[in-house]
Amino acid sequence: MAELELLKKLSEARGISGREDEVREIILNEIRPLADKIEITPLGNIIALKKGKERAPKKLMISAHMDEAGLMVTHITDEGFLNFVPVGGIDRRVLPGKSVTVGENIRGVIGLKPIHLLKKDEMAKSIPLSELYIDIGAASREEAEKAVKPGDEVTFDSVFDASGKAIKGRALDGRAGCAILIGMMRHGLKYDAVFAFTVQEETSLCGSETAAYEVHPAAAIVVDATAAADVPGVGSGKQACRLGEGPVVPFMDKRTIYDHAYYDMAFRAAEKAGVKCQAKQDIEGGNDAGAIHVSREGVRTAAVSLPCRYLHSAVGVISREDFSAAIKLTAGLAEMIEEERSDRHTLC
Amino acid sequence: MDEKLREMVFRLCMADGTSGDETGARETAAREFAPYAETSSDTLGNLTAEMGDMGSKTHILVDAHLDQIGLIVTGIDKSGFINVDGCGGMDRRVLPGSAVAVYGKEKLYGVVCCMPPHFTGSKEDEVQETGRMTVDIGCTCEEAKRLVKPGDRILFRTEPKALLGGRISAPALDNRSSVAALVRCAQILSEKRLSCHVTFLCSTREEVGGQGAVTGAYIANPTAAIAVDVGFASQPGVRPEQCGKLGGGPMIGFAPALNRAMSEKLVSVAEKLGIPYRRDVMGGDTGTNSENISASRAGVPTGLVSIPERNMHTPAEIVDLQDVENTAQLIAEYIAEAE
Repeated sequence: MAELELLKKLSEARGISGREDEVREIILNEIRPLADKIEITPLGNIIALKKGKERAPKKLMISAHMDEAGLMVTHITDEGFLNFVPVGGIDRRVLPGKSVTVGENIRGVIGLKPIHLLKKDEMAKSIPLSELYIDIGAASREEAEKAVKPGDEVTFDSVFDASGKAIKGRALDGRAGCAILIGMMRHGLKYDAVFAFTVQEETSLCGSETAAYEVHPAAAIVVDATAAADVPGVGSGKQACRLGEGPVVPFMDKRTIYDHAYYDMAFRAAEKAGVKCQAKQDIEGGNDAGAIHVSREGVRTAAVSLPCRYLHSAVGVISREDFSAAIKLTAGLAEMIEEERSDRHTLC
Repeated sequence: MDEKLREMVFRLCMADGTSGDETGARETAAREFAPYAETSSDTLGNLTAEMGDMGSKTHILVDAHLDQIGLIVTGIDKSGFINVDGCGGMDRRVLPGSAVAVYGKEKLYGVVCCMPPHFTGSKEDEVQETGRMTVDIGCTCEEAKRLVKPGDRILFRTEPKALLGGRISAPALDNRSSVAALVRCAQILSEKRLSCHVTFLCSTREEVGGQGAVTGAYIANPTAAIAVDVGFASQPGVRPEQCGKLGGGPMIGFAPALNRAMSEKLVSVAEKLGIPYRRDVMGGDTGTNSENISASRAGVPTGLVSIPERNMHTPAEIVDLQDVENTAQLIAEYIAEAE
């Protein structure tokens, strides 16, 4: 499946918020032959117009974010260790002992005091962020300064694997969304659509905010991944969504109450496309919709999310079936949005 | 030399060898020793590599444990998640969100489950016990049961890598860096005429008690022994006065169970060679195979040499290649001088 190859390439690319250059290059190379017009906005968003067989009755923007949560170097110690801050929401418990890449391909690990030297109560405690540091093997501050500098980006080392029914890899959150958009562009569209690949979703939503302003759409679909908690120790009522049960459609999250007609429409689009679809059964999190639906005079917005376990850790897990279904569902939903007969605005 | 040594350490670290399941590591180590020594294995899975004058009354055993810490499968739940527990002294703080390889019917990739606190109701400053953690291989219960069974082992899926200078990082450096030092030592000795009998013992199960060294030393029945393992190198939270230092050379052990004359001899050899070293003083147990070996049969005079290592028992272990080379040189010269 060509989309899987692309997803691997995107998942292995490094691009924390504000440093999306490598991801942007990959996407531009993919979409140049597919798009009718490509624009890069001042903050680094890609806005690509793809013409369909027919002109769109309504300007629709379909977006996915390019960035990933990661870390950033803040300081180099006298001993040559690197202090860092998280960029985006990272649970500090996933950090100790991980392999990372810093700046221009400098390899490192997140160090921690050996278990043999811990006091008993320290063993069950996660290490405070302020005590974590990156070790790049430098013997001194001088040696470290030759290789890295404060402000350098830090990403988890990638371990993509799609040998089974699940896909495991880094940064699947935004990158799976990007791959879905490109998949739609490859398959061709019934109606014109604007595809936006946004920056800085993990930190501020300033990418989608400015992209929506620039595009000025009447409707939007945000494609990303959402936290699936269908793991041991989490009761079925708190799992939010489950892998393999199809793409997730939210009615509300911490930033957005989604357009209810589009929410209903997504389930009809799934049925029509013959794919599974599930409601997001909690209101945690938020995504680019938070900025898009309040752009200018307001934008009717829907989201299609892939259930993803271990979001914002070194390895996320998504279902291959959900991924394929999301391409079909998003394409179907886009068509239905265009073909919706009575727009809410004309009713008022 | 550096590059060849690094590649050898990486080959050894890539081999799988959780305590009690060291076959992959043993086969890899046997291939590395084969050009220089005669290899064999025994009941508990130890690898021995012998060289020198087999008839000599001086028989030196050089031990490095072959096994590494990992996880062991304890069961499979109804959703296909794998229940695990530690195999060796696993540090639970490094587990959440780690990429792992499950050595089932085939090698499967997975991730140790971790969820944000708002899902689990736990607190972010708590890390649950290893025995309560699960590994997600993305399979249904049926598939998982077909591919994985209780007792299978799980290791971190972390590639060895070169850091700045001569430092390297890999999950199994404890203790494959010492195994590599033994191979390098055999290579150095293969170019000399030896008047003694040397047995390199890559022993199993050190991380769960050192049973491999107990039987390996009994079988070898040596007249003297040197255990080689990793020791603590200074790093944040580890005071320099209580440990060695990356690049600071081999740590020569001084402890009740260690033979004082051998320790001093190792020091004088290091000084003669101009190798940096540190006197590593321990008031009680050394926490290495040296205790198991020194109490073998009627007793064996035993020394201990440690390679300084950071982040011990994590997938982020770090050693300096120069320390590996210097450890090999030190032990080779010690053996070459033995009558």
